Amino acid sequence: MSNFFSLIRNENMKIYYRFGTWFMIGLLVLVAVAGAIIVKTSYREPTDWRKEVTAETASFKASLEEGNISKTYKDYLTQQLKINEYRLKHDIKPIASNTFWGYLESSAGMISLVTLFTIIVAAGSVASEFSWGTIKLLLIRPTNRAKILLSKYMAALLFAIGLLVLLFAVSAISGAALFGIETIKEPYLAYQNGEVVEKSMIWYVLQMYALNCADLVMMTTFAFMISTVFRNQSLAIGLATFSLFIGPQITYFLAMKFDWAKYLLFANTNLSQYLDGMPMVEGMTMSFSIMMLLLYFLVFNALAWLIFQKRDIAA
Amino acid sequence: MNPLLQLKNVRKDIGSKTIIHDLSLEVFAGEVFGFLGPNGAGKTTTIRMIVGLMDITSGEVLINGIDVAKNFEKAIRYVGAIVENPEMYKFLTGYQNLLHYARMTSGVTKDRIDEVIKLVGLEHRIHDKVKTYSLGMRQRLGLAQALLHRPSLLILDEPTNGLDPAGIREIRDYLRKLAREEGLGIVVSSHLLSEMEMMCDRFAIIQHGKLVTIEAVQELSKQAQKVLWIVDPIEKAAQVVQERFPHYHIQQNGQGIEVDIDYHDIPKLNAALVAEHVQVYGIQVLAKSLEERFLEMTGGNEIV
Ligand SMILES: Nc1ncnc2c1ncn2[C@@H]1O[C@H](COP(=O)(O)OP(=O)(O)OP(=O)(O)O)[C@@H](O)[C@H]1O
Ligand SMILES: [Mg+2]
Repeated sequence: MSNFFSLIRNENMKIYYRFGTWFMIGLLVLVAVAGAIIVKTSYREPTDWRKEVTAETASFKASLEEGNISKTYKDYLTQQLKINEYRLKHDIKPIASNTFWGYLESSAGMISLVTLFTIIVAAGSVASEFSWGTIKLLLIRPTNRAKILLSKYMAALLFAIGLLVLLFAVSAISGAALFGIETIKEPYLAYQNGEVVEKSMIWYVLQMYALNCADLVMMTTFAFMISTVFRNQSLAIGLATFSLFIGPQITYFLAMKFDWAKYLLFANTNLSQYLDGMPMVEGMTMSFSIMMLLLYFLVFNALAWLIFQKRDIAA
Repeated sequence: MNPLLQLKNVRKDIGSKTIIHDLSLEVFAGEVFGFLGPNGAGKTTTIRMIVGLMDITSGEVLINGIDVAKNFEKAIRYVGAIVENPEMYKFLTGYQNLLHYARMTSGVTKDRIDEVIKLVGLEHRIHDKVKTYSLGMRQRLGLAQALLHRPSLLILDEPTNGLDPAGIREIRDYLRKLAREEGLGIVVSSHLLSEMEMMCDRFAIIQHGKLVTIEAVQELSKQAQKVLWIVDPIEKAAQVVQERFPHYHIQQNGQGIEVDIDYHDIPKLNAALVAEHVQVYGIQVLAKSLEERFLEMTGGNEIV
């Protein structure tokens, strides 16, 4: 076990002693700070939030009356309707994007940048050892290949966790600095067991972060697998980022025509679809998606492991 | 004595091509074993199989009696190696590179790292990034990582590549010392045949993936060879040789005659010359060099 800990320290040393890593970390901080500045300078206060909520409620009602909508969407609209009514009744203003919580919530959208950077690190971790030729000296140690591979994978995930914590912290600090923390006590309205309840915003934001991580973990694993199988960093980065940005679109079009699209990876990576009440294919559930993700996760890792274990090192 | 390294009918196929054909050899503790062969003979491939980087198609590699293919982690503990160029992490310092490898084997202390750094003479540059190193310095760092965990078998693929003459000599002396004093078995592959001759106790020549010969360096001087006879009068001496040993090739030169003679016939010819009143001033054995032997065995510089 102490041996495994040393392996992770080695991998970390190889990640953090490189300029590129710190460039990515710097870029993430920059984006998180710049985002807050942009929101601060461009945000226009709505004249009357009550009017807007009332208008929204009316449009929900209209949609509900149309009838030919799916049951999941219908449930979703009903929930939103109840929440809006609760808002008006108890005078709870919706969370605006130029508030502490509003900015923190939108920072969850920047997780795709974390995903991109983690893909780059994961794609390099095995492929670089081959292109540098260091793989030979790495694999002639009294440590089996599976452990070495696992340490590389873990180091990439640790890097992702580090970036997530950093993103959260920088967003919170710049949000607090620019928008103030007066609104920090404002609640999040959730719909539970048929009634609207007031919850802490922090749970909502953390939930958004967690849901966005499905993509992160899956694409990192995918990039890691490609990099291990093909020993090519550029290919792994290319395939993974292409899939990350284009995959959901393609899956979306397929899902309109074919039911089997629900078994595709990208039909399941966006877990927040279940919060919006609009699953890609009618009848999909959160637990179905989690099962599918788990399956893909296992297949990717098994492939990487099998290939790495068997391969002749001729680099 | 049990061999430290034993190859038993080792064979390697890549695709439909057989790269190594049933190679068997043994290396013992305390000896420096040269592994020679023209480009593409299969030296590096064999070394890759020994250290577990490549699967063995058939046959066995035993290190200290442990099968590398079956019990890799246990067997590899005894091995330190450089496979082809010692590529290191260029963005790390020499020290960080050593630390990296030290962490992968239990029992390598900081003191041991410092000791090895001193051994290979890198004290002054060890905290510089490897990308600023010369080829020779990288080679030294490569040797350092191979020695860190006090292996009993050292496998070095062209370790003198890129070293200056002083460096080559230093490494050669050091390897001999390791073999003599600490009883390591050392396998060295190289193209520098004169180097190998000075460094090795025994050598194997392989070609086209097949073992051609295994010999001791000492034996080289005992094979049929040229002997220079410094004699007077030269004409008469040549006559005597022709009479007594008509099948030997003779060549005259300014000092005397060169005879391609069997090792055991040297005293007989000497006696004959003396009996015929030829003045013998000197008998000089022009020992066959490893290079000549190598070219003879492999038929020149042909590549697979
Ligand atoms: N991955 C591979 N696929 C196919 N053939 C290979 C592979 N690796 C090596 N070979 C072939 O195996 C043979 C032996 O190669 P190897 O590198 O072992 O030679 P070598 O004796 O180390 O040569 P050198 O003195 O040039 O270093 C060569 O003919 C080479 O072309
Ligand atoms: Mg070679």
